[in-house]
Amino acid sequence: MILSRKIKESIKTALAMTIALGIALWMDWDNTKWVAFSVAMISLATIGQSLSKGLMRMFGTLLAAFVALSLIALFPQERWLFMLFLSLWVGLCTYMMGGAKNQYFWHVSAFACTIICMSAGIDPVNAFNIAMLRTQETALGILVYSLVAIFLWPSDSYADFKAASRQLASTQQQLFRTYRELISGQSDDVDKEKNAQTLRTNEVQQQTHFVQLLAAVEIERYEIWESRHQWANYRGQVVTLSETMQRLSESLTEIKALELQELLPELKDFSDEVDERLSQLNLMLAGEAPKRTPETIELVANPDALNTLSHFHKAAFSVLLTRLKSLETLTRTMYDTLADINNFSMQRAPLVKNNRPASVFAPDPDRLLASLRIVISTWLAYLALIYINDIPAGVGIVSMTVPIGMALATMPQISVSKLLKPVIGSVFFVGLIYIFLMPKLSTYLELGLVIFSVTFSIAYLLSAPQQVLGRALGLAIFFSIVAISNDQNYSFLAVANTALMFAILFIILAITAYIPFSPRPERAFLRLLGRFFRCSEYLLSTMKSDPNQPSTRLESWRKAFYARELARLPNKLAVWGKFINTEALSGSSPEQVQALTTRLQALTYQLQELFEARGSSQADFLVQELLMDIRAWRNQIQKTFQQLSKNPTAGNSQLFRTEMHQIIAHLEVRIKETLNKLTENQLSAQDGENFYRLLGAFRGVSVALVDYADSADNIHWERWHEEKF
Amino acid sequence: MLPIPHEFAIGGVFMPPLLIASFLGILMAIGTALVLNRYRLSRYFFYPPLVLLSLTVIYTIVIGTFIIGI
Repeated sequence: MILSRKIKESIKTALAMTIALGIALWMDWDNTKWVAFSVAMISLATIGQSLSKGLMRMFGTLLAAFVALSLIALFPQERWLFMLFLSLWVGLCTYMMGGAKNQYFWHVSAFACTIICMSAGIDPVNAFNIAMLRTQETALGILVYSLVAIFLWPSDSYADFKAASRQLASTQQQLFRTYRELISGQSDDVDKEKNAQTLRTNEVQQQTHFVQLLAAVEIERYEIWESRHQWANYRGQVVTLSETMQRLSESLTEIKALELQELLPELKDFSDEVDERLSQLNLMLAGEAPKRTPETIELVANPDALNTLSHFHKAAFSVLLTRLKSLETLTRTMYDTLADINNFSMQRAPLVKNNRPASVFAPDPDRLLASLRIVISTWLAYLALIYINDIPAGVGIVSMTVPIGMALATMPQISVSKLLKPVIGSVFFVGLIYIFLMPKLSTYLELGLVIFSVTFSIAYLLSAPQQVLGRALGLAIFFSIVAISNDQNYSFLAVANTALMFAILFIILAITAYIPFSPRPERAFLRLLGRFFRCSEYLLSTMKSDPNQPSTRLESWRKAFYARELARLPNKLAVWGKFINTEALSGSSPEQVQALTTRLQALTYQLQELFEARGSSQADFLVQELLMDIRAWRNQIQKTFQQLSKNPTAGNSQLFRTEMHQIIAHLEVRIKETLNKLTENQLSAQDGENFYRLLGAFRGVSVALVDYADSADNIHWERWHEEKF
Repeated sequence: MLPIPHEFAIGGVFMPPLLIASFLGILMAIGTALVLNRYRLSRYFFYPPLVLLSLTVIYTIVIGTFIIGI
């Protein structure tokens, strides 16, 4: 009989659970639910993913035990100080959990620490034993599941990883081909734009999948571990390629009027070469040797054709050229990296450090809010424990508030009410087993059969990756209520107390969800939108000062903070946008909200381009002549950002468009006058390029702003501002 | 005449009257909030979450005082 993968994985989890609990009972350990939690949390689809999560759980538990014992030792008779530092630790871990790396490690570090502190706080003499028990039971769960996963139907991530990396490379190649056709004007724009949008959505999903699988295969395969730095490089390059192509797509509207074949005679050869390089990447990802090495194609503009263009068309062309050149460099680097990983190259690809501004610590306000929320939740649970006599589940209320509260604080889009159904269902189902079935069992063979069946059922019914939280919650509730031990006793209170504990817990989490802002997605969206324009306005205001003049530390920090915010906000808005209940907001569709977030992403790219262009030196003569005009333009944009930061829905596309056309027409004349005054050799080629790049960037921001206002006009904002329960 | 406070026996488990009254109070407050949302009447409140909390307290006290007895 051939079993499906779903059945096999469920059997593995159930078997590991039964064996691990059997060992824990044989060792006569207390709190056997900790072993069960360990197995439940790390049982994932492949060995690599399970081991990776298991390692994070183990190291998180060790750190948690250390912190918990330190807190108990430092504040043995000081319950308020003890709680203050514990809640601060939970807050810190929540902040770290919101980052891109080791999220589960930080989650475990916080909740395991709370569990140890709460269990040992009332029994400090045995604090060390409790911490050790938690650690060894976690280790037992990880060990047993890992052994079962290795010996019974082992399934590794390597094949999936290979497929995912090739799929991602193929999507990026298709995306490049689509943009290439759009640049050369070979096909219908509307269809291609739609196609590009679909490909971009797939690309984002495939990137996430690729990153997850890469983390798993690094543990499973030594050869991948050995070249992990190169893979990390390649991962970064894939992200940069995606951004570069998206930036390229932003140039498309501006270059539609240009005759690119005349301006760039090598454009076709260049596109063929990049396409060929992307094909070679695909080959190397399949493990085959590349059939050719990258050739150098110099993209040089035809000076005769260039001279026929207006200054703003020259500027748009200059931006396009910069983006194409960065695409060339990037694809070459990606080729070298993959050739190095697969040993197709004689020389090692250099390990390029990410050039994003990483040196300055710029905290994420949303992650800080999540920390604040969990600190308040922890305190409310603690105060309830102290001041409500005989509160259901006792210290368990604090121990449960932290893991669930952290998960919700880092995913504020998920409402507390979404957890009600699975929790009520689980408590009811487990209550039936606990009250009617378990008292009839007398040997471990019988108990083992029940553990196996329940674990198998939950693992099988909730096997989809998006159901992982429900599965973990179901198993956690089962083992919390049944509290398997060698001196088993049964009480209806165990079920009733757990049910009441969850009721209190949900009330606490529902209250803190409103601190300090409403959790309604449309309100959060408007709040973030306002923040986006405040960041843009501030960054634009910093352009007043001379870039060559040194700035104070505080100014540099503020600038780095806002720049980071600007880069992060479009993604956050896209996530919140998906949760807006557009049925309740009459007249606006999810596609319109998505289009708005795409426009914001485009605006971000244009602003980043502007700040980069601003960093390059400009000819003194041009600065003197055009300073006032450029400043007027910047002030105009800044004023618009200021208005939008106060009311992001107040954009008037018609007005923006008219203002932009007026400024462009005026500047066109002014630039012509200025350039006529130039004597020969007063403006070097580099100066000219820098000037046109800056001009193109200014124009790009104005166009993106008009596009944003166009999208915003399509949304009926009135309902978004209305108060709702 | 107001009802006399007494515990509720459900399947042999005794529940305090305040628990029952608050449970019913929460249910009625949620029901009222849904109706107010449905007819767009919630926009007239300054801060609806606080209104929900107040409704829960009012319903609990009314049910507790006049129906259950707390």
